[in-house]
Amino acid sequence: MRRYALVGVGAAAGFAAAFLLFPVAHGATDLSSYHQLDLFSDAFTKVREDYVRPVSDKELVSNAIEGMVSALDPHSSYMDPKDFADMKIQTTGQFGGVGIEVTMENGLIKVISPIDDTPAARAGLKSGDFIAGIDGVPVQNITLDDAISRMRGTPGSKVTLTILRQGAKKPFDVTLMRAIVQVDAVKYHREGDVGYIRLPTFNEKTDEGLERAVRDLKRQIGPGLKGYVLDLRNNPGGLLDEAVSVSDDMLNGGEIVSTKGRNPSDNSRFDAHSGDITDGKPIVVLINAGTASASEIVAGALKDDHRATVIGMTSFGKGSVQTIIPLSPGNGALRLTTARYYTPSGHSIQALGITPDIAVAQGDENLTGSRLEQESEANLPGHLPGEKQPAKAPKVIHAPAGKKYDDFQLTYALDYLHGKSLKSADAN
Amino acid sequence: MQIEMALKRVGLTVLGAGLGFCAALAVLPYAYGASDGDLTSAYHELDRFGDAFAVARARYVEPPSDKTMVEGALAGMMDNLDPHSSYFDPRTFADMTVRTEGEYGGVGLVISAETGAVKVVAPMDDTPGSRAGIKAGDTITAIDGEPMLGKNLDQVQKKLRGPSGSHVTLTILREGVKDPFDVKLVRAAIQVEGVKFKREGDVGYIRVPAFNEQTNDGVVKAIRDLKAQIGPGIKGYVLDLRDDGGGVLDGAIGVAGDFLDGGEIVSTRGRKPSDTERYDAKAGDLANGLPVVVLINSGTASASEIVAGALQDHKRATIIGTTSFGKGSVQTIIPLDNGDEGALHMTTARYFTPSGRSIQATGIVPDIAVASGKDESDESVLFQETEAILPGHLPPDDNKPPVVSATPIQPDPGKKYDDFQLSYAVAFLDGKGKPSAIAARTGTAEDGN
Repeated sequence: MRRYALVGVGAAAGFAAAFLLFPVAHGATDLSSYHQLDLFSDAFTKVREDYVRPVSDKELVSNAIEGMVSALDPHSSYMDPKDFADMKIQTTGQFGGVGIEVTMENGLIKVISPIDDTPAARAGLKSGDFIAGIDGVPVQNITLDDAISRMRGTPGSKVTLTILRQGAKKPFDVTLMRAIVQVDAVKYHREGDVGYIRLPTFNEKTDEGLERAVRDLKRQIGPGLKGYVLDLRNNPGGLLDEAVSVSDDMLNGGEIVSTKGRNPSDNSRFDAHSGDITDGKPIVVLINAGTASASEIVAGALKDDHRATVIGMTSFGKGSVQTIIPLSPGNGALRLTTARYYTPSGHSIQALGITPDIAVAQGDENLTGSRLEQESEANLPGHLPGEKQPAKAPKVIHAPAGKKYDDFQLTYALDYLHGKSLKSADAN
Repeated sequence: MQIEMALKRVGLTVLGAGLGFCAALAVLPYAYGASDGDLTSAYHELDRFGDAFAVARARYVEPPSDKTMVEGALAGMMDNLDPHSSYFDPRTFADMTVRTEGEYGGVGLVISAETGAVKVVAPMDDTPGSRAGIKAGDTITAIDGEPMLGKNLDQVQKKLRGPSGSHVTLTILREGVKDPFDVKLVRAAIQVEGVKFKREGDVGYIRVPAFNEQTNDGVVKAIRDLKAQIGPGIKGYVLDLRDDGGGVLDGAIGVAGDFLDGGEIVSTRGRKPSDTERYDAKAGDLANGLPVVVLINSGTASASEIVAGALQDHKRATIIGTTSFGKGSVQTIIPLDNGDEGALHMTTARYFTPSGRSIQATGIVPDIAVASGKDESDESVLFQETEAILPGHLPPDDNKPPVVSATPIQPDPGKKYDDFQLSYAVAFLDGKGKPSAIAARTGTAEDGN
């Protein structure tokens, strides 16, 4: 005990000195920070001395910082000096993957959405599936980054995922061949006199792709063009700038989205410029539980401006902004939630998502019974709360029994643009 | 996402934290007696922590709680050490104290959660779980409406336990039943299953399902009664430690001692002298030197592995079955601030068998590898649950090669056994069972040790 007592004094004196500077730096007025840092230093010392084998101080502290930041919400994390240095290589380089957007929940990896035309989508993985094992190794107790790096590998190599699906009796294995994941081009085609445009993600090429799609569809369909379907289902988001540009393409001005944080530097507002490349034609935006982040910004902006009718199921609710904040040189960086996104009407996307104007189920939603939950940000443990009560969801329209639809939501959207679906008008 | 390059804002904070740890550093050498290099590293790393703490505190979208952050840090630091180390927050620590002191109720289910789904391994006899008809293989999808998918064993147990007489509702998914259904149970005090025994011809069979304070008394009584039942013709004993997940160390020391006439049973070695200990057997072998077979399998863990390892090293028993789990580490609970700030539950030592083998991650390798003969292709067993498969497990020792088990002996394809391993053990003790009489592949089996 003697030893501990002395260390305790040391640490206390140390943090007392630190504390003296805290108020200046942060305006902190309570003793809590001092006490909590002291507690950490005490525990660190005990592990350092008594753990069954010597552990590196570096490893202890990296894990502690990761634990601290990830306790704040599921999107905040720590990049140690090596991760931070690797970051730029990773964003530019190509690697093989399976094509899923994932998050961590209850110690398991949860699929937010499979990306179109990737091994995962072709193998039938769904939003809400849990990955319990990778190549036969359970994922419990490993970090999200670690799981992602295990799923990545040389294109052409194989990886086996053990999937838990709600409603499935047993976990099952899916073997995927890794491929270069082209995060992914805009697709479009005509559906009679309606232009259908699918945005699978938001990357550097998305806005350019959308503009080309609108131009080509106008030419193909000609003056009889009734309107557009903008399909954002299972679009997990991506670059904010692209979401802003895509919204701007279809708006004639006004606000698109704003961010608000604790610090003025985290507040910002993005506005549309005049000029609507779709000439004011009716637009339906399709969303579902796999519509997240940048996609929700587009859906929210077009909905609030009454520029589009949003059809489908309530979106994921990933409405928080992460900023990469470097620590002092050599200490790595925090990827920290610093603000929330707000739609033009002041609705926080975070945890609430975008509620469709007309709720239409596809029929394959990953739901079994009322007891099991639907996948969404609000179900992530420790999620950052939204600020308002969710808008009361409209009654959900289901495909009529007995009829088969390839894509009921799209069929509904096309009928809607043709003015056919009067029965839906009552349901709303 | 944005990347920020401005460091100015953080500057003051870093200075603050730096000074803080500098002052700490002045006292550290005296305390640790450690080298300068060591301390520079500790100082530098604590500084990095202070830096991250201050930045998160200043920039997070809403003012974070210092307590939440530090509890997260402690959990992150501990959880990554190995699968058995963790941080108990003050509430968990207080609950745990109550649980060991007061009477706590449960539902009497042995569960596993390694694969993310919470499965019933077995309902214990005469408990609320078995009376309500819960079956081995059932999946618990929710407890009191809270989904259990992906929860770890501790979290699930915490939900199942509560005062005797209180209610808990389990949502069960059962093979062959289409929809999940609810079962409401009243918690009761659970008596840990006791030692059972019976004669198998001339052989005394003793089943130890777990190690608690009463286990050794149970084994002593079993040996006495079996001697009386079978009489002087008794050929030997089978000590069945299969699926015995361990328990109280004293129980293991007692049971191993029953079959030994002195000598070391097990030792623990850690980095601090206080974590290094040795436990010896008392003189007097209650089984009078008669042959003993110990049955083990991959569910044999911890205290059970200590017994199997001690009897194997003293060549007092023949170990039959499949390689054990490999949980050979010792955890110590270290309260922080007298428990007001929770406690560290930390691995501080490894168990070593008398010959100096580490049980950790390696397990006890049987002298004769014999398969259970049951259909082990059950799809619900996705991962064979052993210590070595747990992510981040503590390695066996710092530099010893792993021992590899021989290919297990299988029952003859046409024959049916209730319990092939037990039949094999009894035949072995009867001496009828030259092992080759029962299965053809003895040659490989004898390479097993």
